[in-house]
Amino acid sequence: MSARQAAPGVADAQQQEIAELAARTERLTPLYEAAGRVFAWGFRIGAAILAIGILVAVVKGEPLAHQADRITNVPARVLAGDSAGIIDLAILWFMGVPVVTVIVAAVDFWRLGDRRYALLTLVVLIILGVSIALALNR
Amino acid sequence: MDLAFSLEIGIVAATAAILGSMLGLGGGVFLVPILTLFFGVDPKLAVGASAVAVVTNSIVGTTNHLRSRFTNPRLAMLLQIAAATGAIVGALYGVVADPRVIYGVFGAVLVYAAISMIVRPDRSAMPPSLDVPDRLELGAAFRDPAIGREVGYIPIRTGWGIGVGAGSGIISGMLGVGGGVVMVPTMNVLMGVPLKAAVGTSSFMIGITSVATVFVYYAGGKIDPSLVVPAVIGVFAGGQIGSRLTRRIRAQRLALLFSLILLYLGGSLLLRAFGITLPGQS
Repeated sequence: MSARQAAPGVADAQQQEIAELAARTERLTPLYEAAGRVFAWGFRIGAAILAIGILVAVVKGEPLAHQADRITNVPARVLAGDSAGIIDLAILWFMGVPVVTVIVAAVDFWRLGDRRYALLTLVVLIILGVSIALALNR
Repeated sequence: MDLAFSLEIGIVAATAAILGSMLGLGGGVFLVPILTLFFGVDPKLAVGASAVAVVTNSIVGTTNHLRSRFTNPRLAMLLQIAAATGAIVGALYGVVADPRVIYGVFGAVLVYAAISMIVRPDRSAMPPSLDVPDRLELGAAFRDPAIGREVGYIPIRTGWGIGVGAGSGIISGMLGVGGGVVMVPTMNVLMGVPLKAAVGTSSFMIGITSVATVFVYYAGGKIDPSLVVPAVIGVFAGGQIGSRLTRRIRAQRLALLFSLILLYLGGSLLLRAFGITLPGQS
């Protein structure tokens, strides 16, 4: 006879706890859906930008660059139709997707009344901000 | 760098991602050693390219985990503070480090991964933790399609998890790997998180950790688009093929063969750290 069979009350308590945890997880549905949308569309748009960059490079016969340009130079190069600029934009776009997801998570935690995790997520965002600031000051 | 070289890098990246995906280690674990040992690529540029590929792979992989509720966003954010901080520290060091240090650390990580693959316990048998205090409200539940019911858990030993997260972040920042090789077993075995939730949460974290890494490498001028573009495309394609192959082939049966490949790559990097290059390598 297993311990669970010997103590049906314990099994019931566990089932109730799992149900409560499932309800808590379900309350985060808006966060799951928003983050999922950011990832899905972020990847599609990033892949499209990358494909355009490669196409422009092939059409113009330009080789792929050996070093990504400064972030501040990228917009002007994209507007000039420069393949290297478009590819740098695709790389930066992909880098931006997780950052936007963190912002979305912070906002949704706050909206759902979970102040503790909204603030923790904000701390993650600040840490990423340090990394981004380093790249901007290159 | 010409089209033929880009194609070669793309094929190597795809192969690395197939191997990594079948072992659940991610593509970077194979990509960086192959690029440095056989193509003579500067290890810092290889790390930068790998980190970008890891981010894009995480974006694709996490979408499914979010849909299945395998990802635990609260746990991810708590551990992420340490992991992202560690990644910045690791990357800042990695950008300026002597390449021999990177070879040595990477070699040690690969040898560890190979040995843990051979001797690892049956993680799926680890029972989820319940009936414990949940002061940080980290408990969650998801529906496991394999058993057709809800699985609930409350992570334990969060202090240890945060500590290991910081270490995983440092390794990720230095070596351009996702860190899942450390975080998944930590969450599963140490913190009592069911394997699917550990993988889903780790996948979410890996993208954010690697972004922290990439921006530092970007700042250091170590992002080479001629490597990044074929690496991203190859790792994406290889990841898709690898996940399909994993369903058809019992990857565990190949674990010994793959672990021998890891041992060879790890041993080669350790030797390279001491200035020794094996025949056939560049």
